[in-house]
Amino acid sequence: MGNTRLVVSVALFLAVVLFGLVGRWAYPVDPVSRVGGRLQPPSWERPLGTDVQGRDVFAQLIHGTGTSLSIGITASAVAATIAIVVGVISGYRGGIMDDLLMASANVVLAFPVILLLLVVAVFVPVRSPMVVALLIGFTSWPGLARAIRSQIMSLKEREFVFLSRMAGWGGGRIGFADLLLNMMTYVFTSSVVLMSAAMLAEAGLSMIGVGVTKGTSLGVMLFWAQLSDAVRRGLFWWFIPPGGVLTIACASLLLLATALDQLFNPQLKER
Amino acid sequence: MVSKLALQGQTDPARIQAVYRNFMDEFGIGLPLWEQFTRFVTQLLRGDLGTSISMYPRKVTEILAIYLPWTVALLLPAILVSWVLGNYLGALLAWRRGTLLDKLVTPILLTVSRIPFYWFAMLMLFAFAVYLRFFPIGGTYSWGLTPSLTWGFVGNYLRHYTLPFLTWVVICLGGWAIGMRSMMIYELGSDYVLSADTLGLPQRKLLRYAFRSACLPQVTELGLNFGFMLGGSILLELVFNYRGMGIITFQALSTLDYPLIQGIFIVLAAAVILANLTVDFIYGLIDPRIRTGHLRR
Amino acid sequence: MSGLLAAEGVKAYYSSSKGLVRAVDGVSVDIDPGDVLGIAGESGCGKSTLSNVLMMNIRPPLRFLEGKVLLDGKQDLAAMGREKVKTQAWGRVITLVPQSALNALVPTRKVGAFIKDVLRYHLKLNGREAWALAQKRFQELGLPVEALTKYPHQLSGGMRQRVVISVATLLNPKLLIVDEPTSALDVSTQKQVLKMLRHLRKEEIVGAVVSITHDIAILRQIATKIALMYGGKVVEVGPMEAILEGPLHPYAHSLIHSVVTPEPEVKDRGLSYIAGEPPDLLHPPEGCRFHPRCPHSLSICSREEPPLIGLGEDRFVACHLVPGRRPC
Repeated sequence: MGNTRLVVSVALFLAVVLFGLVGRWAYPVDPVSRVGGRLQPPSWERPLGTDVQGRDVFAQLIHGTGTSLSIGITASAVAATIAIVVGVISGYRGGIMDDLLMASANVVLAFPVILLLLVVAVFVPVRSPMVVALLIGFTSWPGLARAIRSQIMSLKEREFVFLSRMAGWGGGRIGFADLLLNMMTYVFTSSVVLMSAAMLAEAGLSMIGVGVTKGTSLGVMLFWAQLSDAVRRGLFWWFIPPGGVLTIACASLLLLATALDQLFNPQLKER
Repeated sequence: MVSKLALQGQTDPARIQAVYRNFMDEFGIGLPLWEQFTRFVTQLLRGDLGTSISMYPRKVTEILAIYLPWTVALLLPAILVSWVLGNYLGALLAWRRGTLLDKLVTPILLTVSRIPFYWFAMLMLFAFAVYLRFFPIGGTYSWGLTPSLTWGFVGNYLRHYTLPFLTWVVICLGGWAIGMRSMMIYELGSDYVLSADTLGLPQRKLLRYAFRSACLPQVTELGLNFGFMLGGSILLELVFNYRGMGIITFQALSTLDYPLIQGIFIVLAAAVILANLTVDFIYGLIDPRIRTGHLRR
Repeated sequence: MSGLLAAEGVKAYYSSSKGLVRAVDGVSVDIDPGDVLGIAGESGCGKSTLSNVLMMNIRPPLRFLEGKVLLDGKQDLAAMGREKVKTQAWGRVITLVPQSALNALVPTRKVGAFIKDVLRYHLKLNGREAWALAQKRFQELGLPVEALTKYPHQLSGGMRQRVVISVATLLNPKLLIVDEPTSALDVSTQKQVLKMLRHLRKEEIVGAVVSITHDIAILRQIATKIALMYGGKVVEVGPMEAILEGPLHPYAHSLIHSVVTPEPEVKDRGLSYIAGEPPDLLHPPEGCRFHPRCPHSLSICSREEPPLIGLGEDRFVACHLVPGRRPC
């Protein structure tokens, strides 16, 4: 049962990834330049028609998927890295470092991200996908950091650390080798979840106009669709695919996370 | 601003200079930073959030006062309805755990909650307003009408209101239901439920006990959820063209209307804080452990 | 075999992914009115499962395989099934105070409100009558009436235990089963709980008590009859003094003599302990379950299971060494 989930989710996600990566070669159309008349419905030549500026929607979808995915991975990697560093230092060292780091984590956590992004939108008017990815990464680390910290704190007391210390290993080596390895599975699963959250966040932000402004992404596509009243005008080929791909990507990631969870923790049987 | 004036045909340089200087004075842009800050704080204390640039000469407070109530009217009922319905649904699913109902509904709820809400809103709008024409295609109320407490207006407003409201409820319902279901399953397995069972008390009594306990964390969630919904309302109102805070925020961002952005920032922050305080307060009232001051840490 | 409750050859297993866990494997016990039966044994010997089985509180993965549980010598609870037994007997005829009694009260309801729920459901009393009854019962049992107005978390552990016991016995059940009534409590609170149990029995508020425990010292204070369980089976049954003074089964012997009792003879005898580990209920040993750890085992012990044999005066033992031979 668990294996089906794993296989299905990985398959779906890989399909999306392949679409984003390989699509560019299979369908070599430039997403940013005018290729035809405006708002043309799907045809054999243009599978998803054109948008309000005559650009190929299918090409946008391919490139947009790639961008959104890369933002997701980057943001997740950034957040995970920060979380690991903060969590390990905080949990292992304790003391003032711990208090300081946790205080900053709380601030980041409590601060409504929307407000932060309003500020950023004002001061950084042109935002490339990387910038957005970094932003999302910088605001998503507290949750994971806290979890890592508490795991470290409990693992710290366990016997094998004691043994390692007896073998003469220094503090830093203990911290990173023993404890980190133990948590890698949890961190990996969390990263998967983070990635899906990051992709959703990017799409939402871009749709308001606070996200990516340079280049295209799934969110940016929705932004233009919304701005051009795509829904009201019934241009379903424009606004349905980006959201659809986004949903498939995120849903498969979350499914993957639950499958991984079951894989790594077989003793937790809920259903 | 100046470019707008230029577009309108005012190209006389001297006049533009004069307008420019006027605005500079008004907004205090030329003043040293600390003076600007003092101006801001004194104005704030007087309840004046400044003047909007994009909607000059209207004052920010004026603008917010117009649009905020519409957003609240949409959000608050939507949050409450989805919370109540979601909790009951979750409890039902927990009680009927493993049955056909549970096996069908729970995965559906899970899937729906994975869909990006803004896209879902687009789908709803497309399906029900554009394609099926059940509802008007957005807007808060029809063109040409002015808000008044007449049946005619209220009816019209409600027609426009229904789709965004329903969309919100559907989006949030799943989350509450799934959370409540997990909490209920946990509570139903706890010692006191098993004991009450052994004393012969019937299933519905047990469910009521578990429900009461399971609701507590859901109340805290409410406060956290409010912040998210407030942020999400920007997108939702955008899609439905519902003229509330969302649309205003979008406009402020697009035109880089600093005073307005600032004002929105303050109002949103205040709203989130207020919501969380209220929820904390209510929680303190309903959790007997806190009420009797015996919560040991 | 009349009497209050009689289990005959009861088998109840847990189905797990690794197989069947034979928690209660052919158990027969008799409980007569006036008995305080102490069921004792190590952790994992099946005694808690037995307590649930006696009142048919059976839910998957626990399964009732065979046997009878006769109430008043007439009704077979096993044949009735859980739901019927619940509606007809739980609370009124048989009640259980489970092992986790400290958390047994509904945390979001005041004690008095919960008691009212129980009374209103079973006796159809209205609010005022229920409250009066609750107060009266609390006074009878020496519990402070103010406890009724409090939430469970406001009461101390010992108080909570006693409240739970009094709630369980509100309807004067014929049989009260308590599972580890004193394990989480300090000594003075233990005394209070035991005193309450004795009082309940003496004043005939309950007809009989079954006390599940692993603590021999408790049995000395309240039990009239003792049944020792090992590996899912009953290995020895008899009157309290007889068993505690002269246990026949080697396991009973080791168990009873491994406890420190404040008596002068102990200094001379020394403490013994039981080597080895409790049997795996998934794959119990062949023959007598205790034979791998028994210091006196014979070859027959590893082949044949000893049946429970009556020795007169309500004494039963399941051991190949007895009758005829006392092991020490």
